[in-house]
Amino acid sequence: MTEHDDTVFADATVVAGTGEVMIEIEGVDKLFDDFQALRDINLRVGRQEVVVVIGPSGSGKSTLIRCINRLEKHDRGRIVVDGVELSDDIRAIQAIRRETGMVFQSFNLFPHLTVLENITLAPRHVRKMPRREADALAMELLERVQIPEQALKHPGQLSGGQQQRVAIARALAMQPKVMLFDEPTSALDPEMINEVLDVMKELAREGMTMIVVTHEMGFAKEVADRVVFMADGQIVEVGTPEHFFTRPSEERTKRFLSQIL
Amino acid sequence: MVVAFGLWLAGNVRANSAKTNIPLSFDYLDQPATFPIAGSSFRPTQSVRDAIVVGLGNTVRVALAGIVLATVLGTLIGIARLSTNWLVSRAAKVYVELFRNVPVLVLVVFAYLAVFLRLPRLEDATTVSGLLVISVRAVAVPWTRTDGRGWLVLGILVVAVAAAVAVARWRHRAFDRTGQPAFAGVAATVAFVAVVAAAFLATGGPVDVTAPHLDGRVLRGGIAMPPEYAALLCALALYTASHVAEIVRGSIQAVPKGQNEAATALALSSGQRMRQVVLPQAMRIAVPALANQYLNLTKNSSLAVAISYFELTKVTQVSIASRAPAVPSYLLLMVIYLALSLTISAITNQVNRRLALVER
Amino acid sequence: MTAVAWARSNLFRNRRDAVTTIVAGLIVGWVLYRTARFVVVTGRWEVVRTNLTLFLVGRYPNGDQWRVAVVAIGAGFVAGLVAGQVARRRLGAAIANGTPLPTVPFTDRVRDVVARYWPALTLLLLLLLLARTASPWLLAAATIAATVAGRLLGARTPRRVGWAIFALPAVLPLAVLPFLTDPLGWDRWGGMMLTLLLASVSMIACFPLGVLLALGRRSTLPALRAVSIGVIEFFRGIPLVVLVLMSDVALGFFFPRDLLPGKVVRVIVAFTIFTAAYVAEIVRGGLQSVPRGQTEAAQALGLSPVRITGLIVLPQALRNVIPALVGQFISLFKDTTLVFIIGFLDVLSVADNVTKQPEFRGQGLIAETLVFAALLFWVGSYTLSRESQRIERKLGVGTR
Repeated sequence: MTEHDDTVFADATVVAGTGEVMIEIEGVDKLFDDFQALRDINLRVGRQEVVVVIGPSGSGKSTLIRCINRLEKHDRGRIVVDGVELSDDIRAIQAIRRETGMVFQSFNLFPHLTVLENITLAPRHVRKMPRREADALAMELLERVQIPEQALKHPGQLSGGQQQRVAIARALAMQPKVMLFDEPTSALDPEMINEVLDVMKELAREGMTMIVVTHEMGFAKEVADRVVFMADGQIVEVGTPEHFFTRPSEERTKRFLSQIL
Repeated sequence: MVVAFGLWLAGNVRANSAKTNIPLSFDYLDQPATFPIAGSSFRPTQSVRDAIVVGLGNTVRVALAGIVLATVLGTLIGIARLSTNWLVSRAAKVYVELFRNVPVLVLVVFAYLAVFLRLPRLEDATTVSGLLVISVRAVAVPWTRTDGRGWLVLGILVVAVAAAVAVARWRHRAFDRTGQPAFAGVAATVAFVAVVAAAFLATGGPVDVTAPHLDGRVLRGGIAMPPEYAALLCALALYTASHVAEIVRGSIQAVPKGQNEAATALALSSGQRMRQVVLPQAMRIAVPALANQYLNLTKNSSLAVAISYFELTKVTQVSIASRAPAVPSYLLLMVIYLALSLTISAITNQVNRRLALVER
Repeated sequence: MTAVAWARSNLFRNRRDAVTTIVAGLIVGWVLYRTARFVVVTGRWEVVRTNLTLFLVGRYPNGDQWRVAVVAIGAGFVAGLVAGQVARRRLGAAIANGTPLPTVPFTDRVRDVVARYWPALTLLLLLLLLARTASPWLLAAATIAATVAGRLLGARTPRRVGWAIFALPAVLPLAVLPFLTDPLGWDRWGGMMLTLLLASVSMIACFPLGVLLALGRRSTLPALRAVSIGVIEFFRGIPLVVLVLMSDVALGFFFPRDLLPGKVVRVIVAFTIFTAAYVAEIVRGGLQSVPRGQTEAAQALGLSPVRITGLIVLPQALRNVIPALVGQFISLFKDTTLVFIIGFLDVLSVADNVTKQPEFRGQGLIAETLVFAALLFWVGSYTLSRESQRIERKLGVGTR
């Protein structure tokens, strides 16, 4: 799938997938009061590409992907998703949110609804899907994440790994074009991390455009088309996994990798 | 040791009552009350027991009305507190901080002496054409009066409610089938109104809405609220609403932020987020605290003794002044309040159990 | 942010917001206008001015009011001592290391105090302006001076001696009471002085009872548990008014004739038992919040059950519920107005009575007096509330 190319790719070019640009982030800054969380971010993500973002805590990785679906508002620069520019216009924002799915570190499943209702809530209310169709879609997705028998249970009755897989199914129910993952396995017990990573790897194999913020280097090596390293709110280095993990160019990257590998 | 103390107290009570010649039994309940109760059809020749029943009725009346008003007003103010509009949220905050920190009794006395007793006399009453008559004697609002076919009205209302429920169910099923928004609430209300209107037309209007109006020096029509009732109700409602507002605000803020974020990421509109995700969870958090406020309001209704509204406590107080024995009277009073408290607690415990989140 | 930018984002974000702002603005403006008109223009505040001492100390004999002044100054001094000692302990680590303490400029200090206590200070100013003589100004100045002196002294008292300072607020009232009741027995006290007496004595007295009830409710002896639960639920289920009425009329039946305590004592008993039931529930919550591990560790060390409860569990439990306890005290402070119903001369009663004085009769001045009474309570309650919230925040970051 990926070209084994050693050169460091400047952020503006895309690799793999179909070559079309799916997400464009240009000159983006983000300030929280006095703290600059994002500094002149330039990144392009192509259709069907899997980009993994790594970096120390406080580097701005979560802030970056939260800006893409407007959970945070960027202060400067442009963000364009599938041709729609992110602005203050609520219609643009809603259009982008419909096409992007997000999976959170703390799952954020709705505790007062069953698993099935969690998954069908958005398709029914936003895409106006009839109930039968929505239920069928939900069951199909539950099969994909391998827990169809949990459909009528409540989230509180599921294990962490199961809850996160339901969260992935819930995001997929909207049939998004892009999936955003914000440290999806960081809150899981070690024995449950793999079941979630397996689902994500399957998604990547099926050709979903994904941006994944994670600490799981194994996942990055195996599935990523590109790895982005961020520190102090800036993109320090970008490259293919091979380049990244064997021959990083920047000092900062080398220091980070030595600490975690 | 505790038992010994209790026996000593009981012994004292017996000795003292023997000395003062006031019997220690509950016989006084059958004696004539010898005091009137304003604003009701109670006659001084009726028994004390009947007086207490009237008092209890008044307590329940002001408590129920107070609970409804306080909940509605409090919820609105609580949501206003969370508004992004600075003026609205600040005004709500001032309301809450103002009414929370003033003693209830001061509010009750103020409402009575400085507001309702200063309303103009009946002859010079302020009227809002056909809707309100505001005077010191009473505040009157339109009310209904049936022409003897009350059972028919009841029947029509029952059918209308059934129709509303059926329409709501039908709209929900349409939403299931087609995915188009249900608007079940609106549809049900329309159905209810339509059925009532049609039935009234068909049967020749068994219900009359009487508007209050002044006929010379007599107030006719509508229903009149005496100033004591109105003052107590207003003070209790305004005071309790400030607490309800804080509870509503707190419970909405207590819903984890991640819930709202997940709903936002799923492209639900802000209205959908509120209705489908935030409010159901906030309600579960709010119910126990709201129950506590309802209990407090019911107990605070006893402040009527300060302004002579004849609810339960006032009736007891007056009956003791009219020679009823003190200890049994207060004992009975406390038992009734305990029963009221337990009833409200039981109802809210049931509601709580129904709403509880399902866990492992 | 400029004013226009602020208005744009907070008041006029979009069209619906702008409409809301205008409508709300009209309503708020009207309310403010009517209130201001009442306070400044049409309100006849003479009745309050003339009766200021009645509101504050009731019918305390004029010649002996210096005693109240002395107590006020002393209270200020003790409050300052406590504040100083608390501040010292918070900076404890820094002092032990000998690192220099950050010096806060005087003007900033004053500004912080004003920001923190503005309602109380404004009320003080208002009272002083309403007063007719100069002596209140002297008293206010003396009290402030005493508080500042206490603060400085408290901050300089070493910890070994300083613990005694915390015992003062509980012990001093016992000494002060005989001093104050000498000229006028407390059965005849009135005004805010009576309110404070009822509230503080009841709060202090209800404490041991409340803790006992809470412990009783958790005990393994079924009889003790049943009695505790019974007492707690009983007194929480009935209105305070009923207890107050009973204390006036029916409590007398529970005591032999010659042993009958005075009216004030009876009503204090009513408040005490009522508040004790609520405090018991608060303390129970606190006890439940202490992790079981604490008890288990103490048992492993061989401590007796009494020692475990008294030295390990209870202190932690109480520390956790200080905000709730303060909240209960605030409620009690406001509930003392109920004695109005049984004929005490408390603040609410004064507000009612002064409108019947010959020179003020029949003028409908009840609104003014009630507003003043409400103001006194509002300031007290609001200030205590804010302090409680501060404590809540600070406890999260405590030094211990």
